[in-house]
Amino acid sequence: MSAATEQTPSAGLTTRERLEGWLALIGPMAMIAALLLLMLALEPARYFRLSNFDIILKDAALYMPMAMAMTIVIVTRGIDLSIGSVAALTAIVMGYMLKSHGFPWWVAVPLAISLGALCGLVNGLIITKLRVPDLIGTLAMDLAYRGLALVLAKGVVLSRFPEEVVAIGRGQIPGFLPVPVVIGLTTIVAGYFIYTRTRLGRYAIAIGSNPEAADLTGVPVNRYKVYVYVLMGAMAGLAGVMLAGKLNAVQATSAPFFNLHVIAAVVVGGTSLFGGRGSMLGSLAGVLLLAMMINALVTLRIEFFWQSVASGVVIILSVAFYTWLQMKDRDGQGGMMAALRTPENRRLGRFILTILAIVAALFALGWLFAGETSAVR
Amino acid sequence: MTEPTTAAAPLISMRGISKRFGGVTALDGVELDAWAGEVLAIVGDNGAGKSTLIKILTGVFQPTAGAVEMDGAPLAMTSHSDAIAHGIDAVYQTLALADHLTPAANMFLGAELTRRFLGIEILDNARMRAEAERTLRDRLGVTLRSMDVPTESLSGGQRQAVAIARAVYDSKLRVLVMDEPTAALGPRETARTLKLIEAVRDQGLAVIVISHSLDDVFAISDRIQVMRRGKRVGVVRTADTDSKTVLGMIIGAHPTEHAAEHAAEHAA
Repeated sequence: MSAATEQTPSAGLTTRERLEGWLALIGPMAMIAALLLLMLALEPARYFRLSNFDIILKDAALYMPMAMAMTIVIVTRGIDLSIGSVAALTAIVMGYMLKSHGFPWWVAVPLAISLGALCGLVNGLIITKLRVPDLIGTLAMDLAYRGLALVLAKGVVLSRFPEEVVAIGRGQIPGFLPVPVVIGLTTIVAGYFIYTRTRLGRYAIAIGSNPEAADLTGVPVNRYKVYVYVLMGAMAGLAGVMLAGKLNAVQATSAPFFNLHVIAAVVVGGTSLFGGRGSMLGSLAGVLLLAMMINALVTLRIEFFWQSVASGVVIILSVAFYTWLQMKDRDGQGGMMAALRTPENRRLGRFILTILAIVAALFALGWLFAGETSAVR
Repeated sequence: MTEPTTAAAPLISMRGISKRFGGVTALDGVELDAWAGEVLAIVGDNGAGKSTLIKILTGVFQPTAGAVEMDGAPLAMTSHSDAIAHGIDAVYQTLALADHLTPAANMFLGAELTRRFLGIEILDNARMRAEAERTLRDRLGVTLRSMDVPTESLSGGQRQAVAIARAVYDSKLRVLVMDEPTAALGPRETARTLKLIEAVRDQGLAVIVISHSLDDVFAISDRIQVMRRGKRVGVVRTADTDSKTVLGMIIGAHPTEHAAEHAAEHAA
């Protein structure tokens, strides 16, 4: 009988399909290998030390809970830019409750995570009920949460927390891993479980893959979107606790670039910004890669501010790479030079050259007519 | 072929269906009868009211006047899920598949099979996979080369099979509505899809197919209902007619309407 079987040329999966599942890991793993080789050549003595890998792991651990949740957010075609402010706000509130109101740590820590969940709930409701696009909605709430944190803290640095809180941020389980690393890895494992074995994960993929289809088949799209943002908020709250413990201090301006750092890690790990495709293990690899990269920059004594340049470049390269991989039709392009010769690209090329020329000319003009400097440095 | 037009009562009927959207009359007193084990094709030009009619049948729209009856008893439907509860489901033109999910995950999307693990409800992926494989094989005669690939890597006919399997997995399903099942398919995939429709019909379901392709309609249907400007202009038995006659009824070029109505009354 078989209506659709006759044409199947080969049974089972093709090599490409088999590989595709692992691409999420191969990408960051290759970059990690390249980084290790580079460091082996440049600065092996200081980079390849056990104590340095301890630092790398602790740095990475801070981002693991958020990367886990962000993976699910991005799988739904969403984004959350507010996580840094949520982490700062929850850490500030926890700090106040601990220091000024004498809350026990075992109340203050869950409180911070719950507050994070509440912030995530607000984000989710803004996106689903007020229909504000996620990019704008969470960007605006990033400002709002940061503002609230500043209002509460008024520039004060809260420090010297109870030892349990400090242990969450930088404790060490004797003969085993640091406490934050255990917490981070636990959230990744939980995330993997959520992603593959629960309705939340399944519906996240369906919503990101085809929102209309998810709706037609009876998936409560908006409710599950809210759940996803609540999970994201809770993990940002947990990260706030871990950060406060790690530094044993917190202020309203803490955690400035959490959002982009976490998104970079997730995207490097092969999760598609276009929704539907994600990898929890890839996100773990992405977090490790970014931690190793930043550590390498520090080891090489490159100025701190280059970090955000490096993160930005990594995001662009990863997204461009995965988009290129997803391209089904690469025929008839005839290579780079052929692409440059198309009329449309020539026009674009002239335009680029014009802009560059204007910038160069203005610089030249400035130097030509330069007066006395009032010495910035 | 089956003989649906004999003494047996129709499985599903629509009686005097009218639907107005504001001042626009989309449907005007339309009748429809479909028997178990037959394929009824609905044809008509754009705007003839085909889609509105099946949206009423599947509970998406509610009629301004008229009633949907199953086994002679009127059905109260206020939503698509009511229709599914009564055994009426639809396969949409877009198939409503999430391309990144596996065929099994798509088949059970929104109605996952679960089991309990340490007291919490988790997805039973293994059972969903086995059930999906069994449904595709036993009900539709389709074996996918892998159950673990994303649905986007399947051929058009296989994707159609997954969408149909989702509907027929429900053992209560009695009426399957298919909206333009072959619209986006090449000749080979079209042939496979028509075979799937035959397989479903042979299991005793009433299949109602909307199609623009008269070739496909003649290849698969037992009867053809022609719609024009919100009215039923006729129902013909596929074996007793040809595409020229049907085309004439669709565009209203020939005064064959009366004859067609007559034939329809005979048939019903």
